[in-house]
Amino acid sequence: MDSILQLNGIVKSYGRIRALKNVSFEVPAGAVFGILGPNGSGKTTLLSIILDVLKADQGQFFWFGESGGPEIRKKIGSLLETPNFYHYLSAIKNLRITRAISGRGTEEAINEVLQTVKLYDRRFSRFSSYSLGMKQRLAVGAALLGNPKVLVLDEPTNGLDPVGIAEIRSLILELRQKGHTIIMASHLLDEVEKICSHMAILNKGELITAGAVEEVLAGEDQVEISSADLDALAAAMTGFNEGAKPVRIGNSIQLSFPHGYANPEEINRYCFSRGIVLNHLMIRKKKLEAKFFELTQS
Amino acid sequence: MAQIVKTEWLKIKNYPAFWWVMGITALTYPGVNYMFHSVYVQITDKGNAPGKVVKILLGNPFSFPEAWRTVAYFSSLFVFIPAIVIIMLITNEYSYKTNRQNIIDGWSREQFMRAKLTDVALMSLIVTLLFTLVSLIIGLTNRNGTDFQVWPMSYYIGLFALQTFSQLSLAFLTGFLLRKSFFALSVFCFYFIILEPIAVNVLKYKFKSSLGEFFPLEISQRLLPKPAFFEKFDQAAYQATLDAIKYHVAYTILLCLITWGFCFWLNHRRDL
Repeated sequence: MDSILQLNGIVKSYGRIRALKNVSFEVPAGAVFGILGPNGSGKTTLLSIILDVLKADQGQFFWFGESGGPEIRKKIGSLLETPNFYHYLSAIKNLRITRAISGRGTEEAINEVLQTVKLYDRRFSRFSSYSLGMKQRLAVGAALLGNPKVLVLDEPTNGLDPVGIAEIRSLILELRQKGHTIIMASHLLDEVEKICSHMAILNKGELITAGAVEEVLAGEDQVEISSADLDALAAAMTGFNEGAKPVRIGNSIQLSFPHGYANPEEINRYCFSRGIVLNHLMIRKKKLEAKFFELTQS
Repeated sequence: MAQIVKTEWLKIKNYPAFWWVMGITALTYPGVNYMFHSVYVQITDKGNAPGKVVKILLGNPFSFPEAWRTVAYFSSLFVFIPAIVIIMLITNEYSYKTNRQNIIDGWSREQFMRAKLTDVALMSLIVTLLFTLVSLIIGLTNRNGTDFQVWPMSYYIGLFALQTFSQLSLAFLTGFLLRKSFFALSVFCFYFIILEPIAVNVLKYKFKSSLGEFFPLEISQRLLPKPAFFEKFDQAAYQATLDAIKYHVAYTILLCLITWGFCFWLNHRRDL
């Protein structure tokens, strides 16, 4: 797969604070690429650099195989940090400015995106009169103007109510199906797990891991088993495999194995040979939340 | 370039403060000249001996071609009014963070600065047109008989435009560096109205130094000398002021180049 964005050794410091430390990864075409990290991990700094708002101290980045520049940015719909609009102008007039600068979209396209983000009825109201959620929706609308093939969205669901969050989520999935590439920074792990195909995790400016979501989460398989006599099952499983530490969670026992080493057939046979009949056996992928804490807390 | 002008116009044309300040400027320029003109008429039209002496002494500074110089001088004292809009236009970009958004949407940093240069040039053009209109009205309504020439001193239109552009550029620089509208407006008005005039006069009269001529606003202030009747007080000094205009044209152009060169350089270097 061709890469849309390639980062090579990006370093950025604010005085003594090193915000990004030699960050490198690639975003494949057609991916929904989530950039995860706790507050202050360098997500927004990274997006600011690839959008030319900040200058990297070291390293390079390439959009579509070329060095970044104004002409390339015009092809990318972006929402960085906060919705940035002229407060005294209406939604429609603000989007005309976006259109005049980027060259994306037409007058009809402005109305279409306003309908998409459900601001059409308030299109003549001043930006300063909007709620936080409406401002955020306008910023998403500006990014969508002209149907760009690449979108950079920094916390796109910030300030939105649950309905708004669900709408943005389905919009992103719809764009993904149409072949758009979306680079999205978020600290909402559930959000990323639901919609991203790829991800990178940053912590204190360092890239902890990057790749397809399946690969990142594939570090460990967890097997959940249960039987009528849970105590007997727990006792029996202690002798099963040294690596698979049984942990009792609620009405089940959880066993962790290195990726690819969980063998449910063998577990079932082992239990049956000890006179225990399983009434529940399931392999689980590790949840993103657990993986995230494991990577960022260590 | 047309795209930059169009985009800036989209920002400006719906900005209420722009129209308010334009309205105030449109009232101030004719108003202040009308006020000085009324004072002149009141003194000279009495028909008594002191009035006749004053008329002989002052001539008619509001008739053509002298009206260009007189109106230019009085109007130039109020450049701080359009400067308010220039400062607001740049500080708005920082408070709304639209300076970042313009770059994200596809302008280069250089294009952003060219857009701001367009704002200053556009404002200078509007103010100069207003000055020209006021001068024509005042000059034509103060004709000394039918034998008069309108255009001999109309080069003051160019000098007024250059001075306005230079001083508005300094207002822009203030907003560009300080970023906060209230702070930038306070600093510029304090410097324009109080600090520099005091500093220039202290240097001139107390220390007998001509260093004040090279203060940022004074450099271009000297493009527009006081009305011609000041010649009567000190002819040699007044002639020296007129002779120095051509040098101050060069200094002012140089200052404009330095101001904008610095702004372009800094905007290219710094994080947004």
